[in-house]
Amino acid sequence: MSLWSRSRSWARAIFRRNRMESEMETELRFHIDTFAEQLVRSGVSREEAMRRARIEFGGIERAKEEGREARGVSLLDQLLQDLRFGARMFRKSPGFTVVAVLTLALGIGANTAIFSVVNAVLLSPLPYANAHRLAMVKEILPNMSAEPFNVSGPDIAQIQKLNHVFEDVGGFRVWTYELSGKGEPQRVTADRISSNLFDVLGVQPLAGRVFAPQEEPFGHQVVILSYGLWQRQFGGQQNILGQTIDLDRKPYTIVGVMRQSFILPLPGMLQGVSADLWVPLGLSKEELADFGDNFSYTVVGRLKPGIQQGQVNADLQLVAQGVLETYKQWAREANMPLGDFRLGMASMPLSSEVTGPLKPMLLMLLGAVGFVLLIACVNVANLLMMRSVGRQKEMAVRLAIGAGRLRLLRQFLVEGLLLAFAGGALGLGMAIWFKDALVSRIPSNIPQFHDIELDWAVLLFNFVLVTLAGLTFGTLPALWASKTDFGALLQESGRGNSQGPDHRRLRAAFVIVEVALSVMLLVGAGLLVRSFQRVLSTNPGFRPEHVLTASIDLPSDEYSQDEKVASFYKQLMDKLLQTPGIAAAGGSTDLPLLGGWTHAFTVEGYQPPPGPALSLCNHSVIFGDYLQTMGIPLLGGRYFTEQDGAKSTPVLIVSESLSRKYWPGQNPLGKRLKWGPPESTDPWLTVVGVVGDVKQGALETATDAHTYEAYAQLGAPLSLRIALRGQGDAGALAADIRAATRSLDPQLALGSIRTMDQVIRRSTESRRFVLALVGSFAALALLLAAVGIYAVLAYSVTRRAHELGVRMALGARRGDVLRLVLCHGLRVTAVGIALGVIGALALTRLLQSLLFEVRPTDPATFAVVLLLMASVSLAASYLPARRAMRVDPMVALRYE
Amino acid sequence: MDKQLDLLQGTLDMLILKAVSLGPLHGYGILLRIQQISKDRLEIQQGSLYPALYRLEHQGWIASEWGESENNRKAKYYKLTAAGKRRLQAETENWNRMAEVMAGILGTKPEEI
Repeated sequence: MSLWSRSRSWARAIFRRNRMESEMETELRFHIDTFAEQLVRSGVSREEAMRRARIEFGGIERAKEEGREARGVSLLDQLLQDLRFGARMFRKSPGFTVVAVLTLALGIGANTAIFSVVNAVLLSPLPYANAHRLAMVKEILPNMSAEPFNVSGPDIAQIQKLNHVFEDVGGFRVWTYELSGKGEPQRVTADRISSNLFDVLGVQPLAGRVFAPQEEPFGHQVVILSYGLWQRQFGGQQNILGQTIDLDRKPYTIVGVMRQSFILPLPGMLQGVSADLWVPLGLSKEELADFGDNFSYTVVGRLKPGIQQGQVNADLQLVAQGVLETYKQWAREANMPLGDFRLGMASMPLSSEVTGPLKPMLLMLLGAVGFVLLIACVNVANLLMMRSVGRQKEMAVRLAIGAGRLRLLRQFLVEGLLLAFAGGALGLGMAIWFKDALVSRIPSNIPQFHDIELDWAVLLFNFVLVTLAGLTFGTLPALWASKTDFGALLQESGRGNSQGPDHRRLRAAFVIVEVALSVMLLVGAGLLVRSFQRVLSTNPGFRPEHVLTASIDLPSDEYSQDEKVASFYKQLMDKLLQTPGIAAAGGSTDLPLLGGWTHAFTVEGYQPPPGPALSLCNHSVIFGDYLQTMGIPLLGGRYFTEQDGAKSTPVLIVSESLSRKYWPGQNPLGKRLKWGPPESTDPWLTVVGVVGDVKQGALETATDAHTYEAYAQLGAPLSLRIALRGQGDAGALAADIRAATRSLDPQLALGSIRTMDQVIRRSTESRRFVLALVGSFAALALLLAAVGIYAVLAYSVTRRAHELGVRMALGARRGDVLRLVLCHGLRVTAVGIALGVIGALALTRLLQSLLFEVRPTDPATFAVVLLLMASVSLAASYLPARRAMRVDPMVALRYE
Repeated sequence: MDKQLDLLQGTLDMLILKAVSLGPLHGYGILLRIQQISKDRLEIQQGSLYPALYRLEHQGWIASEWGESENNRKAKYYKLTAAGKRRLQAETENWNRMAEVMAGILGTKPEEI
């Protein structure tokens, strides 16, 4: 049936029903009036005549009800009747209705909002065609690490050639360029892509074309713009194709523009920064000779249809053997020892690489917010239940005048659903707001490759949730009503203290469930808080305050001579140090917390234990007073000085953990190590200083061994991360460094200008996000549970006023009554807490991946939660208990 | 007045059909007509008259129309439809046969067996 005809039939049903009702009313009134008139004519008074006529007629309402049934009134009509009746009941108790609807709206709104994130991130396919057939290929160096690496440049062609499982394989490398010639020079992120990559992913450009295979080799200066850069830098100009832009001061011709929805790379593919533009892979001669080195290329393949993951990995082992052969050949030609070099390959679905790491976090959030809704539902069921007790009389009367029992049950269901849908509608409104709040705070590691929207899937989820909720708390009172003997009830006069023990137990069960769920949420939130505290209190190994960093990448063509590079950085440092407000300045190839390169090295005289034979460390080449600027403490020996130059002995500064591992209990100063395996021909480096350990990855990761070499003793790197230490707000130094670089090279663009405080905040933002959400869910749960406890006890005190009055009349003191009610509350809470603790012990294990230095069974957290829950329950019980204490025995007894 | 008889299950429908077969009537008129032709010997629950009317109307044996009553009020008149006429005829035959059979059975004397 179409929507239109359906709504027409609805309208007709309502319209016809109204007319039928009014006609029936007229007809019956006519009957009674005419009958009465006849009686009046026979001499009875008018009043008496009306009375007799009504009695003779019998039950008018019953006749109407039977009349309706006789006419075959549709189910829809009855439903409408139930709805109207339900709505009237709710209007009559606005307090109850507002509390119930708001509770539900909060629960449903929060659930819908969280689900909209889960839907966009986990449930929607990646924004590429054939997303389910895309897989990443990685290389494994069993000698170095069990963790797979990305792929070495020359191997891409080998994988393309040797595999039998992929329709096509493409690769890319993340790069940055200086974009100039148009407005303020800036650093842009770019992907150098194989010409077939967009085809592998199944994406087409918005305008123009993708790269041709002949453009893939080195030296083709063509570029495809992202939609964002096209809008930002060129104002969405229409005739952009064929124009040129300058990348690293070389002209590139724009051949295409990608769609707005296209993101590459996605988080998990490499660095999660989506590229501003794409250029051909263009492997240089040096890069083509990077055999077994520089594992920086992300490789994505589109599987042939019907290929299983197992087949892929088996095939890739053969490919790896083939690749190793090319290494051996290269080693022979270059006369370099390859040693016991082993290579493996592995493939993993692209979607699991991108969204896999987010799964535990998002599912945990969905679970937590589900708990909140469950508590909200229990609360509403509880409220409905109490109200249904107050409606026993109404039910009994309705049964007596001819309503079927089924009809009553349906009434409860309809009321439950009515409430749920009111809450759901309001919740949907809240969800819009919640979602916007979520999206604006969403950490950058959650990819937003689909807009997070309340689309049809989310609406469906909302609808299902609402229906389930309505059925849940509609059925409970209905079940209770079906067990009640209404006939007996009606006979009872007065208030009828007929709540069975079953019923009281059910209400206690509600509270227990609420408390248990709240305890579980609170424990979860508590563990996350403790982890967060631990993370914040970890020593990053440097002093982040007052430090600003920025990256400089000198274009290689203009800075082709080492002297020019060296003089640029020398002049830059001089300028910076002359700037008032800058206390120290330096540069490094990589910065703390932002990752870096691992290098293999050999320590003189060190016998490695059996197993993975290579020693690995993070390595930075530093310039100026970098260590002092970062506040990395010197523990022994010295920092680099001006004397450490190209002609002096090669020296090294090592981190404390490296020194402790390789020279335990010895003085590391004067010891020597070299890059590469033992057979390498690199020169020995002498240790002249030991500095503190620095977190190179996230704060949560272990500190790795780290080494520093002086920039002055090596060739000059074109790229350097500059660090400045000021006195006040580090952000204010940005203008200084901009001015300094511009005075030296007006075309040069600075990249990634940020304070180390920002870097730290960024590295904890995901944790902050989860914590804020789970924390507010837990707070909401606690509040709802408190309301639940309060409501149940307050109700029970009202019901037991008589009993309490009798107790007091018989000599119970107020304190006894207070204790009685408090104990009742606490007993129920205690059971809830016990169940909650058991549940938490079972569930918090799932949190493991989100915890840091806190066990899922952390006793302190459990103790705090226990105490918190107990005191909240005490407070919630206290108010009704105080009211119970004030029961006037005389009033209570007289009330009977 | 003789003692009133309770209505036999299912006979109210027949009575209504018979009453309206003599000319269109409103609900109260039907009640009066039944009382009149039964000479007040049947007890009819007034309240049960209307559900029965609606049922018969729903089945298409009687049709209703709004008109004006003797006391100048709006009243709903019922009249027999063609289907109702056939129904009444069938019911009457049925009833007569049944009554005959019942009478025969109940009038049986021991020597007749």
